[in-house]
Formats: sequence, C-alpha cells, structure tokens
Amino acid sequence: MTGLRSTLGKMFGGSKTEIEGAPPAELVVAPDSADQIAQLLDFASEHRLTVLPWGAGTHQGFGGRIEPDVIVSSRKLEGIVEWNPDDLTVVVGSGTTLGGLDEVIGSRRQSAVLPESTPGATVGGVVAAGVSGWRRLRYGPTRDRLLQVEFVTGDGRTVTGGARVVKNVTGYDLPRLLAGSFGSLGIITSVCLKLWPEPETAATVTTDDPERAGAMTYRPQAVLETRDGVSVFLAGTAAEVEAQAAALAGEATAGFVWPEPPVANCAVRIRVSPVDVSALIAQLGVGEFVAAHGVGEIMASVEPDEMEPLREWASARGGTLVVEHAPAEVYETIDPWGVAPSTLGLQRRVKAAFDPLGVLVPGRLPGGI
Amino acid sequence: MVGSFDALVAEMTSIVGVDAVRASDLDRHLFGKDAGVTRGEVSVVVLPKTARQVAAVVRAAVSHGVAVVPRGAGTGLAGGAVPESPAVLIVTTRMDQIDLDAGNHQAWVGPGVINLGLSDHTDPFGLYFAPDPSSQAACTIGGNVANNSGGPHCLAEGSTVNHVLAVEFVTADGEIVVTGSGSPDPAGFDLRGVMVGSEGTLGIVTRVLVKLLPKPPAIRTLLMAFPEVAGAAATVSGVIAAGVVPAALEMMDRPLIRAVENFVHADLPVDAAAVLLAEVVGHEAGVDAEAELIARTATENGAFQVRLAADAEERELLWKARKSAFGAIAQIAPDYYLHDTVIPRTKLVEVLEQIYEIATRRNLLVLNTIHAGDGNLHPKFAFDGSDPEAVAQVKAAADEIVEISIAAGGMLSGEHGIGLEKRGLMHLVFSPVDLDAQARLREAFDPVGVMNPAKVLPAGSRCFDFGRPVPEGTWV
Repeated sequence: MTGLRSTLGKMFGGSKTEIEGAPPAELVVAPDSADQIAQLLDFASEHRLTVLPWGAGTHQGFGGRIEPDVIVSSRKLEGIVEWNPDDLTVVVGSGTTLGGLDEVIGSRRQSAVLPESTPGATVGGVVAAGVSGWRRLRYGPTRDRLLQVEFVTGDGRTVTGGARVVKNVTGYDLPRLLAGSFGSLGIITSVCLKLWPEPETAATVTTDDPERAGAMTYRPQAVLETRDGVSVFLAGTAAEVEAQAAALAGEATAGFVWPEPPVANCAVRIRVSPVDVSALIAQLGVGEFVAAHGVGEIMASVEPDEMEPLREWASARGGTLVVEHAPAEVYETIDPWGVAPSTLGLQRRVKAAFDPLGVLVPGRLPGGI
Repeated sequence: MVGSFDALVAEMTSIVGVDAVRASDLDRHLFGKDAGVTRGEVSVVVLPKTARQVAAVVRAAVSHGVAVVPRGAGTGLAGGAVPESPAVLIVTTRMDQIDLDAGNHQAWVGPGVINLGLSDHTDPFGLYFAPDPSSQAACTIGGNVANNSGGPHCLAEGSTVNHVLAVEFVTADGEIVVTGSGSPDPAGFDLRGVMVGSEGTLGIVTRVLVKLLPKPPAIRTLLMAFPEVAGAAATVSGVIAAGVVPAALEMMDRPLIRAVENFVHADLPVDAAAVLLAEVVGHEAGVDAEAELIARTATENGAFQVRLAADAEERELLWKARKSAFGAIAQIAPDYYLHDTVIPRTKLVEVLEQIYEIATRRNLLVLNTIHAGDGNLHPKFAFDGSDPEAVAQVKAAADEIVEISIAAGGMLSGEHGIGLEKRGLMHLVFSPVDLDAQARLREAFDPVGVMNPAKVLPAGSRCFDFGRPVPEGTWV
C-alpha cells in the first residue's frame, strides 16, 4: 500500500490529510477533473483499492460506516459550469455547495429546489444520496430536477447520461439511476439541473389540522409537522397566498420559516404512504421530528431501542426505516436499510455493469452492494 | 430449443387461451406496424390478462428462441412496438385494471389502461394523471411508461417518469418483480427510473403505480396571435423569465393553424404567422394575475389578438384544435413525417427559421406544432408517399432537422422515443463510451437479448472498449 500511496500521491497530489468527519483512509485525494478521477479509478480497479467519494460528508451516515483505501474529495469540482437562466437550467460541478449554487442562481430569483436546511452539503452529495427538500410536495423529489449527469464508472470510464434539455427520452435515464446510488455506480463529476422560478410571495401559516390544510389550499409547497405544531408553506402570487392564509386562519409569517432538522445522536428517516404520517407520529417517542405530510417522510431523533419497533410498524404498512446517522456501535445492532429490495439480484448485476470490480463504496447499499 | 411456428402458437394458446392469440396472416400484418412509418414482422400476437400469463409467455418465447415485443395501443411513432425480426407481440390492452387509492393520490393501473380513461376514472375523486399526450384518447399507460410520454401539460408537471412511483414488470427470466414503492425513496438503486422510457427493452411492464394530482380549482386558457414567429418565441422566453411556468405553453405556425381551422372550426386567427396557446392553473385568486402577465408579455411582443377562453367549452375547443393537428394534416396530403427533437427553448426562433429554409429548399410543405415551453419540436412534413422523389426529399429533410437540432444543443427525442427509427442516430448525441454504459445497463436486465431487441441502442453498442472493437461475448 505504501508504494501505491506514493504513486497516487504523485499522480493526484494526495495526502494523508484527514477530512473532518471522514473515516480513516490510506489516502485522501482531491482531483480537479473527470479525467483525473478516471485515471484514479482505473488505477483503483487494477489494484483493487476501495474508494469512497466525499462531498461535505452531510449524508455519509446512510448505510453505515465505510473505511476505504482512498477517499476522493469533490472539493476541486466546485463551481457553475454553465447557467442558462432563460432555459431554467444550470450545470454545476458536483463539489458545489447548495448555498454556493443558491447564491448565484438566486440573483435571478431561480432555485433548484434542493434541500433547504443543509446549505453546506454539495450538489453531488445530495444527488448521490437521493435526498430531497421540504418542497418535494409541490416540486417532486430531487431526481426530478436531474437532466444530465457526468460520472466516472468504477472501471474508470467517463460517461454522460441525459442531456441539457428540460424534456428528453433519448436513451436510458442514467441520471435517475445515479440519484440515490450513493456513489456505488460511479463518482458524479457534474450535473445539469432543471430550475424553477422563485414564487413572487411566500408565507408560513400554522394550523392544527394537517388533513384539512390540504383541502383548504391548492398544492402548498409543504405541510410540515414538528413538536411545535403543523405549518403550511404557501407560495405564489400575493393574492393567492393571502387568500389561502386567510382560509387557514392560523398565524401567518411572511416567507418560509423552515424547521431545523432534528439534531440527534441517532437519526432516522421513516418513509411511509402519505396517509400513514399522522399515525406514525403517534408511534414516535419523545425525540424531535419533522414529518412531511402528503409526502410520507419523517426525519426523527430516536433512541437506539426505538428503531426496530418503528421499523416493524413502517414495514407492516409497506414503508421503511433507514438510519441516517448513529454511533458506530448502533450500526452493529441494526441493518441501516432494513429489508433488502426484492430486485436484489438485478441490483447486483446493475452494480457490476458500472463497477465490475466492486471498488466503489462496497457495502454501503442494501444487500451488501 | 427452437420449435416450429405451430408449436409456438400451440404453447401460447395453452397459456392465454384461444381467444387471446392472433396468428393469421392478416393479424400478423395488421400488428406489424405502429402509427409511424416502419413495418416489422410478427410471429404471433398474444393478448394476456395477467402478469402471470405475461411471465409464462416470456418463458415460452425464450424456450422457442423467439424474442418478445410489448405493444399497447400502437400509437407510437418511432417503431418501438414494431418487431424488427419475427417476435411474439405481447399486446397489453386487456390488462386494464385500475385500483385507486384516493387517500394517497395513487393508483395501481394495468399497462392497457387508456391514458384519458385513467383521468376519467379518477375524476370523481378530484384527481387526474398529469401526462397528456395528444393521443391520450387512445394511447395506453404502458406505452406512456415505455416512452416517458409528455404532452402539453408536462411543462409544469414533468413527463411520465415524474408520475410513476413503482413498476411491476416481467424480467427476461420470466420473473415478476416490483421496483419502486408507494412510500418515498425505497432503498437500493432507482430501477423504476430506468424502466420508464426504456421502450420495453428491460422488461414487460405489467402494472404501474401512478401518482395522481388534485384537479386545479381554477384554469385560464389564452390564445395569442402573432404576425411574426419571433414575437411568439419571445413571449415564451419572456413569460418564463418573469417567473411564471404555465401549465402548458404551445405554439402552432400558420400552415398548421390553417389546416386545423379548416378541420375543427375553432375561430383561429388564420392570418397569424404563429399562435401561442397558454394555460395557467391553480388557486382561483392566483390564475388571473398569471394570465394577465402572459397577455401583457404577448402584447409587448407584438401579439395582435389575445383571446381568453370564456368558459370550459371554449377551452376544450382550443385544446381540441391543438390536439387535432394530425387529423388536420390528412386533409392536405396522404402521409406525414414527424420529428420529435428537443432544443433549449431559447433557440426556438433560429431553429424554426432553419426548418422553414430546409422546407423551401426541398420544395416541401412543413407544418409545426411545438411544445414551445420546453423546446420540443414536432415539424411535420406533409407528402404523398407514392411519390418517390417526395419521399427522398422528406427523408433528407428529416436528417437535416436532426443535425440542426443537435447543433443547437438539442436531443433526438423529447417524448416519442428512439425505437427502431432513431437508433442509428444515437451516436450523434452519445459517445461510444456513453452508449456502452447504456448497453451494459441493458445487459444487466436482459443478458440474452430477448426483450424488444434492436431498439433504442444502435447495433454494436456493447462491443466496444475504448475504441477497440472486441469479439462479441468478450468480457471487458
């Protein structure tokens, strides 16, 4: 390994330098192009080195801890490659932070509608983790914004899937396959995202009945419940926001007042059918949570011994509980994903098609993929 | 083992029953074509009712050494449901079950459910299925999934893939599997996402879990007439730039307006160079302001007429005009050839001018309907297929349209798919490495090539290793 380390160090200027929060690795490298990543992964495949792509580390708790040979930081793949405000599209390097992207496209009141509460997370990390923002109720999940993705496969091939147009059925939808793949099919180097104009007016209105809130508004941006109650997030023209706020008759605040995601030693995401959200909230213990009504996702802070009963409750209704982050010893007692998908055999073949030697984040996905 | 034709028909009959097999010469001829121009060869047609029957059909076909090709209503235009060489054609129209879960705004539907039939079924619950291809009165959900269909209203709501939560399908091994879920983000790779738009090459879809949307309480529909195409295109850009994404934003040009008016009698402005049809939907208190913004933008860009549909009847008439384009063309010439390229919407004017130039130079009549909001072009050449010179000119013009669309940063298909017809053009937009990655994905699903072979990817996509051709079957 020492020889390989020095070879890699010479090739990519890597170091033993650690990234805060990252697991120990033989080497950390920060390539500045897809070509460099391709060389690196070609080398890694040849020498059977395991590789972990790293953005800001925001979602690295999903699927448990990986101790790779090499960590590939997307730090130098940062910046806007191409922004076409009139086409509502943007191409960004995977290492660009959500906050950095917003700062640029926000100047024309545009948004990629990515998660609102993690401005330090990278675009590549959010796409790879397949996580979505609170406004998913109105705009759909993050993967629906993904028009094109450039990535490097485990065996070092730089592949582009999709296109920089807002509507497309030309070949297989590789962008959606990469969304939520956690780096195990390839290292994402850049993505093209569909943008939305920011609405003219926004307001956050409290209510005590989430079901009724849905009936009294037309497609709100989000209906979120926390320990503090239920808030409805409205947007649109001033007149429609005012009219709907008045109908809800709750306390209205201008703009979006997003809840803080639960800060927890042990955090989970429970995913159920939208109609089961209220019943699920009743199952939770005393920890903080944010529940997305109409979507079916609940982010919750839990005690380790609450996880299995909650998972059983969700599974019985066709849902899942996944561990978002937890202390190392907790991962030893619970499968971070729960039941593996029924298509596991097919999933393994898809993995092998893009990473034939299995060097990319081995073991992160369900079923040990 | 490759059996005889009679043995194949007998086995299919034993699976689906005698009333669900079509094997006469006439039937095989009728099913050998979709709504496009390509003709293929069908061995035998089966019309299964259940996923288990589909699975048994796939296993039997494999054992006879014959491929399978799925087909819905046959409204496709790219030959996706046309077998290139003799295959078992699995027609899914009898799989038309709808199981509505109104509380979750979801429904499990059979692939044979007709697009408009689904929205009609869910209408009493205040719900609808957003994708609305112009063929929606005939096309099936299975076909919509295969081609990731769009329609005018996918501008704001996205194409079919945004509205499919899970897919049940029969694999190349004849297994029935489900990918996706009614609860968000099931663990593992998003195979649901790649099944949509895969044109039946990864599996035969037997059931689809769709997302339904609440019907908007208020709708405003505007028709705007322009003396120049550029004014209409500038209005599209202006509306988007002002922060409004209408539910639909469609353009028709003069030759098409005239053909449609003669057919539908919707009082369209036949002297306009182009009309825009825009629709905004939403809360009653919001739609008027958005409609006014669109009207104002149109007037600023030279519109000489702005007409707001007075009621639902007038709105439906305007949409009927837009969706009757194909029927209207039949008055002009016996045949038409249609492209489906998509370009960045800001390039609309320059690409449209080039299309007119091509038509003039080749002495062809071109009529345009355009999903202007998302830059999806549908230039239609009207011609007489019995005139070989006209056919040659149309084909040459079609190639040129692909070239100019790609040069403008566009793609081969926005919503009709690649099928048989455009697979030979894939190398224009994807590198050999990109195509190889897609071929690897396909092999992961279908290692033996039984699922709708010869579609989407060009021949030889997989036999490639960084520019070096390698023998078929080599592990690279």
